[in-house]
Amino acid sequence: MTTVNEGTSFDLDGLRSEALESLRTLADAAAAHAWERDFLGPKGKVTALLRGLGQLPKEQRPEAGKAIQALKTELTDAFTPVLAQLESAALAAQLAADAVDITMPGRQPAVGGAHPIAVMIDELVEVFAHLGFAAVFGPEVETGHYNFDLLNIPANHPARDVWDTIIVDAPTEEIVLRTHTSPMQARTMERLQPPVRVIVPGRAFRFEAQDASHEWQFTQLEGLAVDKHITMADLKGTLQELARQLFGPERQIRFRCDFFPFVEPGVDFSVDCAVCGGKGCRVCKHTGWLEMGGAGMVHPNVLRGVGYDPEVYSGFAFGLGIERLIMMKYGVDDIRAFAGSDIRFLRKFSLLSI
Amino acid sequence: MNVPYTWLREFVPTDLTPQELAHRMTMAGLEAEKIEQIGTTWDHIYTGLVTKVTQHPDADRLVVADVDAGEHSRRVVTGAPNIREGQKVVLALEGARFIDGHSEEIKWRTLKPGMLRGIMSEGMVCSQRELGLSDEHEGIMVLDPDAPIGVPLADYLGDSVIEFEITPNLVHAFSVYGIAREAGAITALPVAEPEVVEFPAELATTGLVEIAAPEFAKRYHAVIIDRVKVQPSPDWMQRRLSAAGIRPISNLVDVTNYVMLELGQPLHAFDLSTITTGTIVVRTAEAGELLETLDHQVRELPDHALLITDGGRPVGLAGIMGGVNSEITDDTTSILLESANFEMTNIRQTSRALKLRTDASARFERGLDPELSALANARAAKLILDLNPGATIRSWQDVYPNPVQPRSVSLPFAKIEQLLGMEIPAAQTLEVLTRLHFAPTIDVETNVLTVQVPSWRPDVNLPQDVIEEVARIVGYDHLPATLITGTTPAVERDPVFLLERHVRKTLVATGAFEARTYVTVSEAEITRWSAPETGGLAHALPSEKLVRLKNPIQSDRGILRASLVPSLVSAVAENLKHEKTVRLFEIGHVYLGTEPDALPQEPSTLAIAFAGIREPFDRFHARPTAEDQLDYFDLKGVIDELLARHDHPALTWARAEHPSLHPGRAATISLEDGRRLGIIGEVRPDVAAELGVEDVRLVIAEINLQLLFEARPEGISHAVKFDRFLPVEQDYAIVVDASTPVADVETALRWGAGPLVTSVTLFDVFTGEQLGEHKKSLAFRVVYTAPDRALTDDDIAKVRRKIERTLKQQVDGTLRA
Repeated sequence: MTTVNEGTSFDLDGLRSEALESLRTLADAAAAHAWERDFLGPKGKVTALLRGLGQLPKEQRPEAGKAIQALKTELTDAFTPVLAQLESAALAAQLAADAVDITMPGRQPAVGGAHPIAVMIDELVEVFAHLGFAAVFGPEVETGHYNFDLLNIPANHPARDVWDTIIVDAPTEEIVLRTHTSPMQARTMERLQPPVRVIVPGRAFRFEAQDASHEWQFTQLEGLAVDKHITMADLKGTLQELARQLFGPERQIRFRCDFFPFVEPGVDFSVDCAVCGGKGCRVCKHTGWLEMGGAGMVHPNVLRGVGYDPEVYSGFAFGLGIERLIMMKYGVDDIRAFAGSDIRFLRKFSLLSI
Repeated sequence: MNVPYTWLREFVPTDLTPQELAHRMTMAGLEAEKIEQIGTTWDHIYTGLVTKVTQHPDADRLVVADVDAGEHSRRVVTGAPNIREGQKVVLALEGARFIDGHSEEIKWRTLKPGMLRGIMSEGMVCSQRELGLSDEHEGIMVLDPDAPIGVPLADYLGDSVIEFEITPNLVHAFSVYGIAREAGAITALPVAEPEVVEFPAELATTGLVEIAAPEFAKRYHAVIIDRVKVQPSPDWMQRRLSAAGIRPISNLVDVTNYVMLELGQPLHAFDLSTITTGTIVVRTAEAGELLETLDHQVRELPDHALLITDGGRPVGLAGIMGGVNSEITDDTTSILLESANFEMTNIRQTSRALKLRTDASARFERGLDPELSALANARAAKLILDLNPGATIRSWQDVYPNPVQPRSVSLPFAKIEQLLGMEIPAAQTLEVLTRLHFAPTIDVETNVLTVQVPSWRPDVNLPQDVIEEVARIVGYDHLPATLITGTTPAVERDPVFLLERHVRKTLVATGAFEARTYVTVSEAEITRWSAPETGGLAHALPSEKLVRLKNPIQSDRGILRASLVPSLVSAVAENLKHEKTVRLFEIGHVYLGTEPDALPQEPSTLAIAFAGIREPFDRFHARPTAEDQLDYFDLKGVIDELLARHDHPALTWARAEHPSLHPGRAATISLEDGRRLGIIGEVRPDVAAELGVEDVRLVIAEINLQLLFEARPEGISHAVKFDRFLPVEQDYAIVVDASTPVADVETALRWGAGPLVTSVTLFDVFTGEQLGEHKKSLAFRVVYTAPDRALTDDDIAKVRRKIERTLKQQVDGTLRA
């Protein structure tokens, strides 16, 4: 007890000077915490003084107590900003040590991508949904009945030769890989009554040698609208809407007379080149126009074949190649890339916000 | 069809450039695919007259010729065997460009004068090949006697050849004259008639032709011409044939081809002396009948084949090719000229059966105008008489039992506007149809438009056909662009398409790329995966039910795939040549044969294939170890995620035994009713190596999306609730027998944990001596949340007791403290 007494000699001024002196020389936050422990902690020097109060004569205690509390407050007030400053310096040093070359590449996420054809189909489905067209899907292996007969392409007619057909080995029936998505015209009209508005995205096949612009397996978009009073001008307007959604609001559609047995009148349709605005450039082979597909007014024989009265109903139909659309939009120069499954090609499209 | 512009202009006096006309024709339905310029390379080349030919004093095979070309006259030394005084020839001067006549490939040279055995050759007389006109290099090109002298060759022979694509409906434009008629209608110009002879009535005969198969031969016009002399046809005719791609042969054969090109009617000239009976009989072939055709093939004739016979033996295959036995030879003096109309389907069938397509069959099988037969023979006779001075017509016969009847089409005039959505004034409509020779009238009372269809327009039968005629000539550029009016039908959304789209998004989010491979596979490829004895993948299909193609693009890939996996695995192998990580998937149909003659089933199917390193290869992960290889669990994680997103309860995972899959790392996934939803597994390393994937694990999965769709839970899934109270996490270490599947332990754990569970995650698997033999410890982290309150320690303690019980009962497991 004596030692405590002596050690806590109640020399408040001496302790203040010692503490404040020591506070000025603190090097870092660790030293600050040590200082706090030494002076203000439960076993610190100020606390020791408080504990030693009991040894003072009773009448001195209140005053001494006040003085010690005042010292404690003073030291605490002096300490707080010093600690804050030292901690902030410590954090600054830590952050400085943590600095990186901000130009270094980041960690790559595992990025995948949908096939450009799937992405384009989604886009087409969306554009046509706004125009009231539902997307329908059908079999890729078809009967000659749906692929040809109901489309006004009779057996033994030279028109049938135009579709270089891949044929399934069947004992008697004519079963083929559909040469276009058009069989879904008849299948849809057999299922529904007018008004009918559908698009048919899907695979089609032709017996055709492959090169940069020809592929035996490809993807088509078919369109069909049947109702009373549907006109060829409606066909042009619908295709123009498609062209504008895909290629920009200024685009124009051009019709040229063409022959497809399941439409009459029949046309092929082109869009003016978005690259040169129709003036002629390398992309459009200096014609100003890019061919998109074939179209026309549904042939009365096709309507009759599914039990629609051609005197009451009229309709339009169109077909276009989806690969070709992507090639036009993104400058792909080889159609074989679409079935190539090469990640280097697929990755290009995951980088695009189609 | 190639049409020289000068030939076209013989019929239509248009001032348009070839390019302008070609464009307008294209817009109106006759597509000009390209225009070839003849003569653009002919600088410093002129027409000339050979005035003198003398033998070269020092060379047996050379002559010296003086060529008069006005101010461009030259003396040339030449080896041309056919050069004669008085010929009109082509003279090339210094600096002219020409094709090397001795070189196999096209090699251009520039002419320089030079000494030939001591005599200066100042120019060169040219062959057709040197001018780029044909491959003819036997001798120099000899111009027609009326050719001018000293004018640039390009002015005399320059031309543009327009190549038109003739679609199957365009039989009326499958000739120079037919195209001229179109051009006349489009440009509103008159069209000249071809020059013909009148067949004198007194020379008409009978007994020359007999049609024994009237259903297949609608008309047969025959002319006999005597005192013909076989020789080369004139230069102008040869050039036009060459431009059209037909090889000139002789003045008689060339005329038949010339008239075919000009009028579209195939003709045939027989040597009259070979028609021994003096009568042509048209009949169908008898069983086993043979004919050697002009291409020197002896052909066995199909029994429906239509034949031209001399009453006994066949002398020609009607509408396709003549016979060798009646061919025109150098000794021919009298000919029988055939201009007939054969039925299109018969010609097409015979042509297909014999795999013999000719210029003639291509025209007949489109359905020719029978009215054309007489005109074509009159035109051919005119040309033959012109080219064979002294030749005479002996007799002619026209067998035409059922002449085509005039046809008319009527339609309400208003229907034009109704269909097109564009008003065309009546006057303009009538004017356009008149130009097209449709003789239109409009009844003023009924406002009905009636047209008389020309005999050469078999493609026009319906009001819609007439409307197209008007629209294409008026021009579609005038058509306005409108949108459909009226009721908009409800836009149904195809649920399988939506599922596919959802699956695609999930796969892409896991870092996979979508492939679209070819639908054909080889037998070996497909049976490895989907033969029933292997257990199959998402589907199993016996060999006899595979869908086989009669004419596949690649003969060794003649089967429609019953699984997407083989093509996807090939794609993985290809990609590993340049990628360190390959994650591919494909969504598509597979083709499952059902009954013979029935369409296959085409269920929508998903395949996934992974191989390579797990992390992206970059500076953070530059040296991956074997541990970093994509494996079974990478793909299983994707499948777990996919199935979790589709809310499927009660799927059964069982070990898969597939001969191409790793026996310890493969599983089938089935629905409660036992139907297989799919399969997942690592490919055996030996099989993977065979498929081109070595040194890394190859993992595949295939899921039947059609079934995933069909087995989906009914109705709309519960409303998504947001957890407002903080979750409580608890870790459990569960000791079970080493053989107990994790899925069973998890089921027991979930069972015990009850409805407060929001997730269960396995985070450690541990085996060790302290657990005892054949034991493993599975550490799960379970997250609990109550919808309406904060959970208390009491709640958790209760749950723990329940878990202890269910683990004991269901998997004989114990909870470690």
